[in-house]
Amino acid sequence: MAITAPTATVTTRTEVEDFLFQEAEMLDTWRLEEWLELFTLDCTYEIPATDRPDLDPGLSWSLIHDGRTMLEQRVIRLKKPEAHAEFPHSQTSRIVGNVRILAQSGDEVLVTANFNINRSKAGKFDTYVGRYEYTLVPTNGTFQIRQKKAILAHDKLDPQGKISFII
Amino acid sequence: MTASTYVNDDRQNHLFQVNREVFTSQEILEKEKQEIFSKAWIYVGHESEIPNKGDFQTRDVAGRPVIFNRDRHGEVRVMLNSCLHRGASLCRHSSGNAKIFTCFYHGWAYRNSGELVNVPGNEDYKAEPAKVYEGLKGPAKVESYRGLYFVNFDEDAESLEDYLGEAKYFIDLVADQSPEGIAILEGTHKYSIKANWKLLVENSVDGYHAKSVHHTYFEMMMDLGATPPMLGEEIVNGVAPSGMGTEFPNGHATLMYPANGLPLATESVKETLAGMRRTAEERFGESYATAMFGLSRNSVFFPSFIVIDLSFGLTLRTMYPISPSETIVTGWQIIPKGVDEEFIKYRVDNALTFWGPAGLATPDDVEALEQAQKAFSTQAEIGWSDISKGMGKQMPAANDELQMRAWWREWNKRMTGEALPSEGKSFVPFQKQTTDA
Ligand code: FES
Ligand SMILES: [Fe+2]
Repeated sequence: MAITAPTATVTTRTEVEDFLFQEAEMLDTWRLEEWLELFTLDCTYEIPATDRPDLDPGLSWSLIHDGRTMLEQRVIRLKKPEAHAEFPHSQTSRIVGNVRILAQSGDEVLVTANFNINRSKAGKFDTYVGRYEYTLVPTNGTFQIRQKKAILAHDKLDPQGKISFII
Repeated sequence: MTASTYVNDDRQNHLFQVNREVFTSQEILEKEKQEIFSKAWIYVGHESEIPNKGDFQTRDVAGRPVIFNRDRHGEVRVMLNSCLHRGASLCRHSSGNAKIFTCFYHGWAYRNSGELVNVPGNEDYKAEPAKVYEGLKGPAKVESYRGLYFVNFDEDAESLEDYLGEAKYFIDLVADQSPEGIAILEGTHKYSIKANWKLLVENSVDGYHAKSVHHTYFEMMMDLGATPPMLGEEIVNGVAPSGMGTEFPNGHATLMYPANGLPLATESVKETLAGMRRTAEERFGESYATAMFGLSRNSVFFPSFIVIDLSFGLTLRTMYPISPSETIVTGWQIIPKGVDEEFIKYRVDNALTFWGPAGLATPDDVEALEQAQKAFSTQAEIGWSDISKGMGKQMPAANDELQMRAWWREWNKRMTGEALPSEGKSFVPFQKQTTDA
């Protein structure tokens, strides 16, 4: 992406942090339909393979490579009681930190942040850690998400076993 | 333990039961390590993962760490990843290229073909290590079929081809999908589950659970205009929509059913698929090409190598026990060689909708197995699981349980020596004409 000189609408880290913290709250409280509305129509939500975090999740055996259609389906599914892996829903508590703006162009802001998600379900307690990469589009004083990539800092999903909720 | 302690195969009453103790007992797990994982053929990897001299992958197969590599002569090898000196792991990278493996503990160094070539302080040994030890140890046998490499730790094991027997056909159907062959896509699904390894083997060839466990997946498919598996109307190569279960000698088994819809296919992807099918027709004739692209199948190769060959993805997975209630699972995706990026993306996207720890289906399977494992604490009261569905039927369907019974009979034979006869539902392969030049 070409990096142009900052324009009049420069995004600050505080604005990005406010947005990411709100997103985290939506996910922790399972307001998934609302969360879905944060995304653009040409969005991707992706998680690379734990052993090849460097590869394009669309061209490798990644964990998630959702476009808008599959992201909608993921949300629809998770809200059904027959989504057995998430019945009852996991309780999650996530900390998003080390937020940094890496670049800003005409209509996009590239952001990185770390995550630490604790999850409990049916007596099992798991931690998911890693780093986010976001492409945000400033819109009406807030943002839309064009790309959200969660790069796990795990070499395998042991003991977590599954990623059945949204990271 | 006497025969029938584990498996109750009651032919008279068409009843088949498995003792739940086999999922919880440490003693049984130790015996499985001896009788199954040290004597059956175990999948290691595919040749496409190590294309060049020096390429290696390290992985655990059935609890043993190995280096799977292509040595300096271009020969594929499997060597135990443990230093001959005092045991340290020789190679701690998950993959790469190396001429020499040097142990970081005291510095013994080995060629990628296994010979010990350097021992620091060699002059202090009266018994020179390079003379005492021939080189890195491997399993008793390493053999391949259509580029898939397997190992066996038993000197007396039959050959891989004899072991696979007729079930080889289901590897052919995968390997023949492109004249250029197949390749493993980079990236691995590696995850653990809190359930006995045999529960995931059963689940991998269980057509019965699809409608109930994967209800939300089927709804997703219908939302996107595709027909879920086993719910179509078409008969393909004589296989009804409800599919068929098939058993083979040595505990291998397959369930097969007409291929279901393609939820995320673009026009160009459909063209690629049609082209692949035309090529297959030219090479092998119509019936075999239809089997390849018009049918879907899940196969288990005893003990725990699973090939899931669907119209929208080709997934391999293995599962090995960590403890009676913990299993480590590894999953790979296969792509026919020579396809474009759009096709790869299509296969990845579709396969991911279902498979893997973040798919829209696999986590629900895992949930079912973990819930079962947990509830096995009731085994004093409920001692047996039932696997009788479709027993005594002329033509067991994909959602019957013949596949699992076949697998359990082999397990039982290896564990107790008691050979239970098969149900005699062997498969007549679709004819493969070899018009290939
Ligand atoms: S253990 Fe490898 S050199 Fe000593
Ligand atoms: Fe399943």
